[in-house]
Amino acid sequence: MSTTPEQLYNFGFIDEDSKREVRRQILKAIALPGHQVPFASRDLPIARGWGTGGLQITMAIIDANDILKVIDQGDDESVNAVNLRRLLQRTTGVTTTVDTTAASIIQTRHRIPEEPMRRDQILVLQVPMVDPLRWVEPNLERATVMHGESDYGRMWVYMYESVVKAGDLRIATQYPVIVAGRYMMDTTPIPRWDVMRLHNAEALFLFGAGREKRIYAVPPYTTIEPLQFEDFRFKTEFVAGQICARCGAQDTFLTSHFVVDTTNPAGGYWRTSCSDTSFCDKRVLVNTTNQEAPQ
Amino acid sequence: MTAPTWILQASGLNKQYGPGCPRCQQFTGPAHNNSQCPICNTVHACVDAGFTLHQGEVLGIVGESGSGKSTLLQMVNLATPADSGHIWYREPRTPDAEPVDLLQMDAYRSRHFRNDRLGIVYQRPELGLNMRFTVGGNVAEKLLLANWRHVGNIRARIRELMEQTELPPERIDDAPHTFSGGMLQRVQIAKALSSSPSLLLLDEVTSGLDLSVQARVLDLIRRIQWEQQMTMLLVSHDLGVIKQLARRTIVMKNGHIVESGLTDQILEDPQHPYTQLLVSSAL
Repeated sequence: MSTTPEQLYNFGFIDEDSKREVRRQILKAIALPGHQVPFASRDLPIARGWGTGGLQITMAIIDANDILKVIDQGDDESVNAVNLRRLLQRTTGVTTTVDTTAASIIQTRHRIPEEPMRRDQILVLQVPMVDPLRWVEPNLERATVMHGESDYGRMWVYMYESVVKAGDLRIATQYPVIVAGRYMMDTTPIPRWDVMRLHNAEALFLFGAGREKRIYAVPPYTTIEPLQFEDFRFKTEFVAGQICARCGAQDTFLTSHFVVDTTNPAGGYWRTSCSDTSFCDKRVLVNTTNQEAPQ
Repeated sequence: MTAPTWILQASGLNKQYGPGCPRCQQFTGPAHNNSQCPICNTVHACVDAGFTLHQGEVLGIVGESGSGKSTLLQMVNLATPADSGHIWYREPRTPDAEPVDLLQMDAYRSRHFRNDRLGIVYQRPELGLNMRFTVGGNVAEKLLLANWRHVGNIRARIRELMEQTELPPERIDDAPHTFSGGMLQRVQIAKALSSSPSLLLLDEVTSGLDLSVQARVLDLIRRIQWEQQMTMLLVSHDLGVIKQLARRTIVMKNGHIVESGLTDQILEDPQHPYTQLLVSSAL
């Protein structure tokens, strides 16, 4: 019987001691929602910054019976998502899916799937920058003390300056939030559209930053408060009149891309479509077969 | 007539940088004109310092560079932890309440105390201001820490404070580096006053400013003190500044308080040889 190279590795690639260490830090992160817990980030066969934090969390928690979904920018078929899925699938042998409702673990970068997540699901987010205070306090030691003392005045000044300079809260991504009334947390590069979907959600959200060696978590039913002023409220992205060119959705997070006209080099046009491709596919299917639309 | 109530009472404050050794006392102090032990190299920045500060009073701390006056101020500001001693604080708004020892507070409470009850103005504006934020943002910081969450109200209060400190309110959104040295000191004063503190700490506020600007800043401090009956702790090496603002003065040398009393008394009849030298060289 021949052995594939992947079968020579441990289940989930990293060794059991490393997984145990990651799981211990995950438990601590769940006990202290929003608090950044350091962990010994291991070397992986992908470069740091390509999702090694999220990958190590997934590798530490995944079980042979899990059903895995991996997305990048909401897309199941992007290069990053395909490669991470292939690595996890080959080193664990778990079943993979593109259907959000069928998955037990979803690893993601940039998006929370459009379909509401259930209490038996875990969303693992790949995090590039863990600390919202990095914008106002580059010194890690001082920022840690600021977190310890809930000293978030300077971050509020950052928000105030945003209003003064731009006329509104112009933070497109990595929007700072207060978790469970205590720690300030960076919401990773998820768009503002997804920020409030963390609030009192049923699922467990785990955030992993491999390069910065930090894990943090938003447990189920945890309050999330975005930083906002009484006269300048937190708003999600919305462009009136934009709809998905495929499924016609107006109630999802849309992305735009340029469609090249192959017959006319000067031609082409911008098209918007759902960022969550599997959700969009489901709606397209419903539209064509008149099935019940996904919620 | 009742005696004015004290709001701050410090006693036995010590701060040393280094391990210390049994012979430190033998070789340091004003008598040896040295605060660093030649055996163990420990610097005794502040030794057994104490004072009482009454409500609405301005207390001056004077001394040469390295005498420990800024260390003492930073201990009161809870920015430098004291090795030993007590700083009792009595809230002027609730004079019947029990005094609290500021040095026994945990980090979280002391940070809140520092923000709500203390205001500080440094000699170097970059210590008190964040040069990456606008002037308005700098003044807003204490308001935001005190849970002000309405940008319109915050900006109205900043403008009010800017007027109060003789700064042009229309420059609320300008960067600090576009302001002159004297103006930056006034921005620091506006920031310090924003939370209506019980105690204002002034660390060499006029050093490095030219004479006319110095006079303007001093006039402003005097006016604020007069109008708001503000309690102030003023550190300066300039006896002229102390003379203009402080009712009482303590003189420090090599980490020790060598003399204290009414400012007029100290200036007219200095007792300690060091104070005599200081007064004779200043006048």
